Amino acid sequence: MRRVARTVLVAAVRGRRDRGGPWGEAALAEFDQTTGRWEALRWAAGGLRAVWHERRARIKTLPRGVRLQRALVGAALLSVPAAVVVNQFLLTPRYVPSGSMEPTVQVQDRILVDRVSFRLTGVRYGDIVEFTTPRVPGYPVLKRVIGLPGDTIECRGGQVYRDGTALNEPYLDTPAATENCGAAVTVPAGELFVLGDHRVVSQDSRQWGTIPVDAVDGRLLTKFWPLP
Amino acid sequence: MPRPTHASPQTLRLFEALLTEPDRWRYGYDLSRETGLASGTLYPILMRLAAQQLLDTDWEASDEPGRPPRHTYRLTADGLALARERLTAAARKQRGPAAAFVPRKA
Repeated sequence: MRRVARTVLVAAVRGRRDRGGPWGEAALAEFDQTTGRWEALRWAAGGLRAVWHERRARIKTLPRGVRLQRALVGAALLSVPAAVVVNQFLLTPRYVPSGSMEPTVQVQDRILVDRVSFRLTGVRYGDIVEFTTPRVPGYPVLKRVIGLPGDTIECRGGQVYRDGTALNEPYLDTPAATENCGAAVTVPAGELFVLGDHRVVSQDSRQWGTIPVDAVDGRLLTKFWPLP
Repeated sequence: MPRPTHASPQTLRLFEALLTEPDRWRYGYDLSRETGLASGTLYPILMRLAAQQLLDTDWEASDEPGRPPRHTYRLTADGLALARERLTAAARKQRGPAAAFVPRKA
């Protein structure tokens, strides 16, 4: 334990140099005075703090240009892992390879998918969610949430009904174009009924049935390309 | 009112230790034992004092073989004056305003 503490302190004080700054060396020179492992450990920990203070004082004396350069390099290095974390868990940019959500999202649009907020607010009617389904292997799909658990969804004459009430769907290009729904579906617990906005071409819950809520991994936040 | 510089309780404890024998060169471990301050508290204070020329520092060659030279400390004349001033101010404050106001006996 004492040896480890000493080694750490030496490494912190000297780094790759033969001799560190005077204050670090001072703390190091006193290290052998300590008795017992806990006192040694405490001394070494305090020594690290002294080294840190000394280092900060030394950095302050460096020319402004060097300090700026170091700060920039540090920021650049930190931003890489930060960007990976944001990209994977918070906001994910995606390319849209399909026209099934037209006109809301066009083919070749770039969108931002919010990976967090739907977990806080829950999935709501009209949300455009991203999920993966075994029916579309390879990439996640975007669809609009039409039915939540307990809802009964059906369509007659191209119009969608939720629990017998016709939906007002201003986001559609051609109203009353929702065909091939089959029999009325009651959404089971933990599932969602989803439809693409481009009802004529979209493959969605009409073919696949309801999808599990757990499959949802994000919600459309905004389209960022082409620029609005 | 902001606290004047070099008036923290830790610094005052260090001043007391340094003032017991102002001419003797002291070293870190010995000061740490006497004041009860951990090295991580003590050294930054010493650094600050030294940077402002309130503390003289020196390296004292070791008298035992195998022991590295020691960094030693002593208050400068300015440091001495400041230390005395801060300690008296602290003592006055400790006695408190109640002590400063002595009611006249009728």
